[in-house]
Amino acid sequence: MSKRAFYTALPVMAGYFVLGVPCGILGAHAGMSAAQMALMSALFYSGAGQYLIANMWLAGAPIASIVLSVSLVNGRQMLYAAAMARFCGGVGKRLTTLFAATITDESFGVNLARFASGEAWSVREATLVNLFSQSAWIVANVVGAALGAVLPVPTVLASFAMTSIFICLLCIQRFDRSARNGALAAAVGVCLCKLAGFAGPAILVGALVGVVAAMLTPKGEAS
Amino acid sequence: MSWAQFAWVAGLCAVTMFVSRVAPLFLLKGRALPPRLSRALNAIPPAAFAALVANDLFDMRLLQATDWRAFIPWLAAAPVALVALKTRSLLWCIVAGVGCYGALLAIPA
Repeated sequence: MSKRAFYTALPVMAGYFVLGVPCGILGAHAGMSAAQMALMSALFYSGAGQYLIANMWLAGAPIASIVLSVSLVNGRQMLYAAAMARFCGGVGKRLTTLFAATITDESFGVNLARFASGEAWSVREATLVNLFSQSAWIVANVVGAALGAVLPVPTVLASFAMTSIFICLLCIQRFDRSARNGALAAAVGVCLCKLAGFAGPAILVGALVGVVAAMLTPKGEAS
Repeated sequence: MSWAQFAWVAGLCAVTMFVSRVAPLFLLKGRALPPRLSRALNAIPPAAFAALVANDLFDMRLLQATDWRAFIPWLAAAPVALVALKTRSLLWCIVAGVGCYGALLAIPA
């Protein structure tokens, strides 16, 4: 069972190692130690979130703004949990909690494909996939933090790795009219915030403006 | 970052993340999402990622820029978007983005 889960997780683990090292480097530039990066990867475990924390910290954003922005960005996790609920019937509370607490964009995709394939795939195996992936992420973050402390990697380059992730995640969304309006309003909201001198909460305000704009877009106008 | 600052940032982010990941699964076991909530949740990813991209690319210094190097993030972002649409791979997007950014930085002013 664990062998099958390991082979399922292997591509995700490889990807996480490559993504995790620059994240660790950026974290080191933001003043985090390898122990702090390991702890954050174990408790928080979010690629986009950890990049965002380090970048906002480097930009001098207040803690409240960092937490709110990160929480909003990770709001999409609710969708994953909601989608997985139907596979967790009859599963114990502890296993369900561990499974849910370790879902990421990538492990969600891999596990959903397994569940939907019709072959026998249990929540226990899905949880193992999550944990194998998380282990790779933790190791990569620690390696990155250790490298970042000794190697003069330009912060702008490590930071642009995060921008690249966000561009990718934006481009792969399904864009109906509502999503388009939301994205456009969010981008305009961020620019207006910055022009008005409110750079700190710009991400949060922009994203909220975008969600409201998407909700206000009349339904049934998908294109 | 001191341990006290780290505890606030990581602790609060971990709590909100845990609630986002775990609560819906227990609340919705065997039930469907209310349509309005579902629509709001679906609206979050495009809006949040657009806000993040705009925040990274829109720099106030661009308004007074006289050197093309100020536009390096925009120039490097274009190939990343193409790679994203073509491959949908975070990994290849990072390779393309960091590679292009690094190559543009290496061009003498």
